[in-house]
Amino acid sequence: MKKRILSVLLAAAMLSTLLAGCERKPEAAADGTGSADGNVVRIGVFEPASGDNGAGGKQETLGIQYANYVTPTVEIGGEEYTVQLDIVDNESSNDKAPSAAATLVSDGVSVVLGSYGSGVSIAGSDTFKEAGIPVIGVTCTNPQITEGNTHYFRICFLDPFQGTVLANFANDNFGAKKAYVLTKLGDDYSTGLGYYFTQAFEALGGEVVEETFQEGNSDFTSYITSAKNEGADVFFAPSSTEVAALLVEQAASQGLEIPLLAGDTWDSNVILNAAEGKNVDIYVSTFYQEGGDPEFDAGIKEWINSDSTAKANNGGDDTVSGLTVMGYDAYYVALEALKAAGSTDPAAVNEALWDVTYSGVSGDISFNEIGDANRDAAYIKHANTETGAWDFVAEQSVAQ
Amino acid sequence: MKKTTKAIWNVGLIAALLILLFLLEQVLPSSSMLFMVLKKGAIYALVAVSMNLLNGFTGLFSLGQAGFMLLGAYTYAILTIPVESRASVYQYFDGGIVQFSIPVPLALIAGGIVAAVFAFLIGLPVLRLKSDYLAIATLGFAEIIRAVFQWDKLGPLTNGSNLLRNFPTFNSVLYPFIVAGICIGLIVLLINSTYGRAFKAIRDDEIAAEAMGINLAHHKQLAFVISSFFAGVSGGLLAMYQTTIQASMFRSSMTYEILLIVVIGGIGSITGSCIGSFLFIACSEWWLRFLDNSNLYIGDFHLTFMRPGFRKVVFSIIIMAIVLFYRKGIMGDREFSIEAVQKFFRKRFKKKQTVEGGSSHE
Repeated sequence: MKKRILSVLLAAAMLSTLLAGCERKPEAAADGTGSADGNVVRIGVFEPASGDNGAGGKQETLGIQYANYVTPTVEIGGEEYTVQLDIVDNESSNDKAPSAAATLVSDGVSVVLGSYGSGVSIAGSDTFKEAGIPVIGVTCTNPQITEGNTHYFRICFLDPFQGTVLANFANDNFGAKKAYVLTKLGDDYSTGLGYYFTQAFEALGGEVVEETFQEGNSDFTSYITSAKNEGADVFFAPSSTEVAALLVEQAASQGLEIPLLAGDTWDSNVILNAAEGKNVDIYVSTFYQEGGDPEFDAGIKEWINSDSTAKANNGGDDTVSGLTVMGYDAYYVALEALKAAGSTDPAAVNEALWDVTYSGVSGDISFNEIGDANRDAAYIKHANTETGAWDFVAEQSVAQ
Repeated sequence: MKKTTKAIWNVGLIAALLILLFLLEQVLPSSSMLFMVLKKGAIYALVAVSMNLLNGFTGLFSLGQAGFMLLGAYTYAILTIPVESRASVYQYFDGGIVQFSIPVPLALIAGGIVAAVFAFLIGLPVLRLKSDYLAIATLGFAEIIRAVFQWDKLGPLTNGSNLLRNFPTFNSVLYPFIVAGICIGLIVLLINSTYGRAFKAIRDDEIAAEAMGINLAHHKQLAFVISSFFAGVSGGLLAMYQTTIQASMFRSSMTYEILLIVVIGGIGSITGSCIGSFLFIACSEWWLRFLDNSNLYIGDFHLTFMRPGFRKVVFSIIIMAIVLFYRKGIMGDREFSIEAVQKFFRKRFKKKQTVEGGSSHE
């Protein structure tokens, strides 16, 4: 009997790794060019390709790969260098992050981009710090990542900012007096954003009802009912995309009439697909609104459509996610830093990063004294349930 | 071989290993993958041996290892975060309620003790169960512990769902080796003592053991508590290795990883668990990573099937092959010893000589 359960467990463990292994990722866009001789500078991509955040990590990587496809070379100190992307999967897992980071370090990268997911970013941070390699965070929004570090930069806004933006938006647009906040237990992103939203919303004189759900939960009907019974005006649910899809379905079937609000993770075609043809009202805050730069949109759509693996990684269609845009911009920020440093030495790049300014697709990027981007606006988008696309609502900012 | 010469050999080997590590550290850069693997391997070796004490030597099939590691890791982290950085770590909970920190070695031991206390309490009802039921109960316990630690209301103590970080960590690869080495040494001493023999008797036949006058409940409880203590210590070491911890990483899949190490190494073999641990960690984190590289060429031939994630397929197949065709694991229930190695070589040597037609040995 003992043997039997042992063998069943082992088989389960193996199957799970097998399934995880089958997930596909695009091949590096720099195929063939990277191994050519001549000057090569390596940029590390520290992103999840499997695990909870695999989908988001892939979309972010996609932006970096597209940028690399558009601009495969960079001029450093008067010489032409070929940029080689070094993509490593941190498996969205804090205990795998240090070794994934060490892989990049021993490959001799000059600068690292990533990661999607604040937890893994913090977990990998010290390995890069020790090796003296600068990191540019793409969409990791937790304040703790850059705090007290001189090697970690980031080009996106922070959770306190995002939470405040959404609270203001709820107050301004819906005149909301009562908000229902649903966060995931054990997820630092979800509870962090929920915390800042609650703070800001209460400061505006609103009332907040808070609840948490367990990992692996797939039935949200009781939460939706309780939001209705509480008489909430908005439903705020910062969560991963998998949960979001379920939540949207169940909110629609239960006839939740109040608007659903969420953060940057919901800016994904998973949500659009779930919401299409249903009676739900979804608003998200994000980094970029499709149409903000038509030339870029057209270019990346063409690239995604021409590459089947890229398309699969983008969730099967060519909707441009805010994550992809941020990945694209991060790559160019890294190139600017390399140019300014005039060498591929990580320490020089780190030094140069402080003064880098770049006008990206998602807006102007420059760093403050902590290493965070100076950002004062977020885009609010609304899911159009008829066309299955995002509608631009407002550019919301806060007086900080 | 005499007992004293054996002891000298063992001490000499351990000293040689430590010196080798020390020299390696002087030569290679500290961020080298080798050290990452060695550090994590040493930590997993300790927890695998502690699981082996329970599963392999006492015959109690427990799956609570991740839960006990969580207890150890959290205790360590909570007790050692410097007071001045508590405000930034416990950012949502006003700096938390623990406003002191204690030295690292004490905190590691405290981690073990907390895990042991919980093991004692949970052991009272759970150890009455046998085989599958015990496994399910301990697995459930680990999951419950994880959920409790994520609970918001305990935030001032555990930081809720958020990371704990900024606690003291180790830089030298020698640190986990020495700590894990001492702990494994203690387990070996225990297994070779009368208690150890009682454990093995319980594993082989409970009724016979009881007839021989072994107090079953007492010995099972003892094995469970001691195993959990060392799991707690290794949890503290894991926290140091990772520099950050979060309750959500101590999933049941972590227990399965440890179980895999025990099975690959050989159930009932201490050295097997150690070897298995280093091999497992090296394969999963280092050696197979090249398979993720989609730009791999053999000559001019582009290996198009290589893509990120492919290493996991290969890794799973290797594990499957081991479990199917090599069921006893690397060591079975034997131990690595100088004597066995000597015997092995002597046999070879002798055979060679006889083949060459000489009967001239000694």
